[in-house]
Amino acid sequence: MDIDDILREVDPVFHAVPQEKRDLQDLTRAWVAERCAPELLHWPADGLFERVNDNIKRQIEKVEEMTGDMDPKTNFALIVLQTELERFKYIVRSYLRARIAKIDRHTLHYLSTDELRSRLSEMELAYATRHQALLHNHYLSSFLSSFPPQMQNLNDAGGNSTMIDTPDLESAVFIRLLIDTVVEGRGVDADGEMNGKVDDIVILRWSDAKPLVDAGSAELV
Amino acid sequence: MPLYGDLGNKLVQHAKRTQNLIHLPPYQAELVRAVAREVRDLDRDLKSILEPFQGSFDPTADQATACTLLVNHLSMRRNKRCLLAYHRTRADKLEELVWSGADVLDLAGQQTAGGANGVMGANDGGASSLSPQEEDYVRQYGDLLAAYKGQWTDIDLTGSLEPPRDLFIDVRVLKDAGEIQTEYGAINLTRNSQFYVRQGDVERLISQGYLQKLG
Amino acid sequence: MSYYDIDAILTDAEKLPCTFQIDVPDLGYLDNAPTQTLRAGAKVALPLWLAEMLAVANDDQGKSFVNFDLPRALGNDVIQALKADPRAVPLRDQSAHFFGLATRMMDLLAEEQELGSVLRKTFVTRATEIALHARKVGGGGKAAGGDDGASNLGVGGAGEEFLRGLDETERKLFRKAHEGAKAAKEWMENVKKH
Repeated sequence: MDIDDILREVDPVFHAVPQEKRDLQDLTRAWVAERCAPELLHWPADGLFERVNDNIKRQIEKVEEMTGDMDPKTNFALIVLQTELERFKYIVRSYLRARIAKIDRHTLHYLSTDELRSRLSEMELAYATRHQALLHNHYLSSFLSSFPPQMQNLNDAGGNSTMIDTPDLESAVFIRLLIDTVVEGRGVDADGEMNGKVDDIVILRWSDAKPLVDAGSAELV
Repeated sequence: MPLYGDLGNKLVQHAKRTQNLIHLPPYQAELVRAVAREVRDLDRDLKSILEPFQGSFDPTADQATACTLLVNHLSMRRNKRCLLAYHRTRADKLEELVWSGADVLDLAGQQTAGGANGVMGANDGGASSLSPQEEDYVRQYGDLLAAYKGQWTDIDLTGSLEPPRDLFIDVRVLKDAGEIQTEYGAINLTRNSQFYVRQGDVERLISQGYLQKLG
Repeated sequence: MSYYDIDAILTDAEKLPCTFQIDVPDLGYLDNAPTQTLRAGAKVALPLWLAEMLAVANDDQGKSFVNFDLPRALGNDVIQALKADPRAVPLRDQSAHFFGLATRMMDLLAEEQELGSVLRKTFVTRATEIALHARKVGGGGKAAGGDDGASNLGVGGAGEEFLRGLDETERKLFRKAHEGAKAAKEWMENVKKH
């Protein structure tokens, strides 16, 4: 269940919102969430990015068609269209870059289990796998191949330390509540609990916020 | 008397300095070799200590040997971590340069003071700040990034991460950059000239230092 | 703790005063005497990465290879000074990774509760002071983009002395707070302009 389902339930007109506008909302929400969350979130499974990408392509074509026309009236429309296009491109770019940065930082972590791998898009998975292989290869050719065989791994664990770095799930995030709900947060000395109302903005650990965000009860801001 | 791991620590101090520099300082080939050698020496010691036991070493029966083995093992592990972190810090820096569109290999060539020319200067001069392995890595990572970018051709993945504000901006040309094509025709970018251009058309030239954004 | 983190690795190199609990013939080199047996009772300064694991490893009677004490950076003199005024102690002179070291030690010595509370109070008090300085720096008029963030640690007077004494964790905090304040200021100016 996500926020769209909730909206659909309470607002039958919701379906009337055109797909393109809904995509822009979803895109914006995914972008804000990805930039705020300390760990990689799921790649949208519903083909959002394929649609957005097609839309950008169509817009570019339209801009190219209109460019030849120097009539001031269409020219103004052209500038509006281009501004909109640049904004779209920026959000997609910023979203993809935020994800790549997280993947690069903790590559082995995101490749380590099926659940984590499923968060990446196909392209990201291919990129991450290859990037990790290149790095390992670089280490091997620089020094690692001269090590005794049992010392050549990059994923040793044990002895109270692991070689696989993971994102810090305890770092702080801001969320906005989308429904009235109880918010529980763990503190250093004591835990806290509050009866949150719609539109309340709360700061708490990501590990405490995640269940609310996943359930659609809150969004990252 | 130097302790095992002291050399590795030197390497990490180099890495610490590297993090705060814009350019990439010379690769510490000598130090890397010495730390890797230490690992092999420690491994040899470890094997020779264990040899008389023929695979039946009982750590509880021989505390002193168990302690020596542990120190050996920890020292190897420490050196490995130092080496990996040093190489990783530099690889991060190299990747950043690849993303920014800089011609990393050319830059490395320019830093060879002896005048050995261009990219391949590293071989004869030996003064490149990149190791030959790092040069390979830059090439391979560049290919990987190009392949990933290629799947998002309309987005320009390496473009500006500043939110777009003005569609058109004023720029001053800092270095001759030749003629570029824009949707509004060709512009000839000669030094010190100024233009009012679409930001998306010139972003790469700004990040590469050819143009300066005004206002 | 991150495996590749440079500051974590440097923190791990901080030395602890250790006392060996058993005789070890082959480890004389740790005490500058490679040909001699390292005797039980010998005092040697060992890096954290070595001391920690040697202290944790033990025989079946629960006796460790070594026992360790608090490093001098967390010694009584320093702690007393911190109790008096956390802001007056240049932590950097004790250790460039003072709080990294302190955190590691508290993980190892959970029973040192009083030390833990002094350190926490120190961090909070100094963090407030750091935030104050971070906001002041570069706040004096110059147009946005005028300073590059590289050399803006100079603030003059007592502030300068305080900032010089920051450890690595605090320096990061200062940089973040400063960037945050700068970005907020730029944003405000932009809002006014448009």
